[in-house]
Amino acid sequence: MQASGAPGVPVMAPEAVGHAVARRAPAVTFGEGRRPESRTQVQMAEFDGPLGLLLALIEARQMDVLTVPLGALADAYLDALGGLEADRLGNVSSFVTIASQLILIKSRAMLPRRTDPTDPTALADEGTDPEAELRARLLLYRAHRDAGLRLAEIAIERIGLFRREPAAAHAAGLAGARPDDAPTLDPRRLVRALDRLAAIAPPPELPPETLGRTITMTERADIIRAALRDAPSVVLQDLLAGIRDRVVIAVTFLAMLELMKRREIVVEQAMPWGPIVARATTAEERTTAGVQAVPVDAPIDETLESFA
Amino acid sequence: MSDEIGPEAAPAPIELTETALEALLFVAEKPLSRREIAALAGTDRATVDARLGDLEVSLAERGIRLLIDGDRVELATSAEGGALVARYVGADVVRLSPASLETLAIVAYRQPVTKSAVERIRGVDSDYTIRTLLHRRFVVELGRSETPGRPFLYGTGFEFLERFGMTSLEALPPLDVDVAARLAEEGGEPVTDLLFAPDETTP
Repeated sequence: MQASGAPGVPVMAPEAVGHAVARRAPAVTFGEGRRPESRTQVQMAEFDGPLGLLLALIEARQMDVLTVPLGALADAYLDALGGLEADRLGNVSSFVTIASQLILIKSRAMLPRRTDPTDPTALADEGTDPEAELRARLLLYRAHRDAGLRLAEIAIERIGLFRREPAAAHAAGLAGARPDDAPTLDPRRLVRALDRLAAIAPPPELPPETLGRTITMTERADIIRAALRDAPSVVLQDLLAGIRDRVVIAVTFLAMLELMKRREIVVEQAMPWGPIVARATTAEERTTAGVQAVPVDAPIDETLESFA
Repeated sequence: MSDEIGPEAAPAPIELTETALEALLFVAEKPLSRREIAALAGTDRATVDARLGDLEVSLAERGIRLLIDGDRVELATSAEGGALVARYVGADVVRLSPASLETLAIVAYRQPVTKSAVERIRGVDSDYTIRTLLHRRFVVELGRSETPGRPFLYGTGFEFLERFGMTSLEALPPLDVDVAARLAEEGGEPVTDLLFAPDETTP
């Protein structure tokens, strides 16, 4: 793993570099168009810098950085630069710098150059070769980009090393990062438990208001008769004093009417809403009405059909 | 005078065995510097280096490894046990953008390195990516450069080694041959005026 030519720096074999590059999805595609430059479509989101863009253009054409004429890429690069989104303007100067270098390289390639090395004036006005300089930058950038990709692969392969950190581990455990100790509870177990609970629990008592209750006119008539045995007359309102149940009041009133029909009692009311006074009929009144005796033992018609 | 308090006597030296060193690093919850270990045991640096070497060899087949980042060392789990431990502590795989990966690779291979050197290689402003890596502790400030403006020098920290499963920087993936040769010719940035003593730097 250690460097063969440079001490202290690990060296990657060329084929390993290609492998790392292959793992990155191509961000340059080719669409319709006559010229290769105009058909090139670059996904700008993939690039943070101009060297990344230029390298992607080269790799999309499956060319070698060492031999590709960089000047020929100037048009494709400018096309891609034209598609730069507004939010990338912060880095636009760096893209323009590389564009100017590419245009310079292209223009120098188009102009005739004196190549006689013995001529002292041959290269005096040309300075350093911009293509060689840019190519060196590309190689340096590519090496680190590929190393970064390899780091990402390593991070996935090895996941990581962990130092002893009790607080972090404890917090992770509290946060539920630790897998469950037991399998997930089956809902059917809950249903069965509920069934068992229902079997043990006593049946609930019916609420008082739903209890069946029967109030008969016979009962209420007996109450009226009993009251008349102790007193010559009874006021219905007094008889029902303290009773708030409307059914009891109504049935008592009906019982009183039934007793009137049977000529057992006489009921009088001096004025509307006034006291309803009942008293037992006299023998003379019964004779006048054609009733021989008080039919105390005769059952009262509870169906109220006689009122219809 | 019997009631005078004299200077405190230095603690008696403790033999720094491989077992004692392992126990010390096990209890420590942070990386320890070699100087710190030597001071604790009352021994010299060479002894610490020798025992660390012995411990590194002994742990080679264990679930614990010795992580070495320059002067500092710590115990960490092995890469083989990473999946299980990651599940326990709820750790996820490191996810970095292509820009961050590029920047991290440059810092890892060229450390100590300045921001401008990173930007020369990437060809683009890298202030945001470096700050992101600093925030995630993959990159740490090592000191300042002697160059004009005394810019910060950056390097990788223990967090980088741990999350990328390396026991030392020697385990970095190999770099392109030509580039490696060029880096070796250029050398690193000169470092002076470290901001932190090695044993006081937080990981």
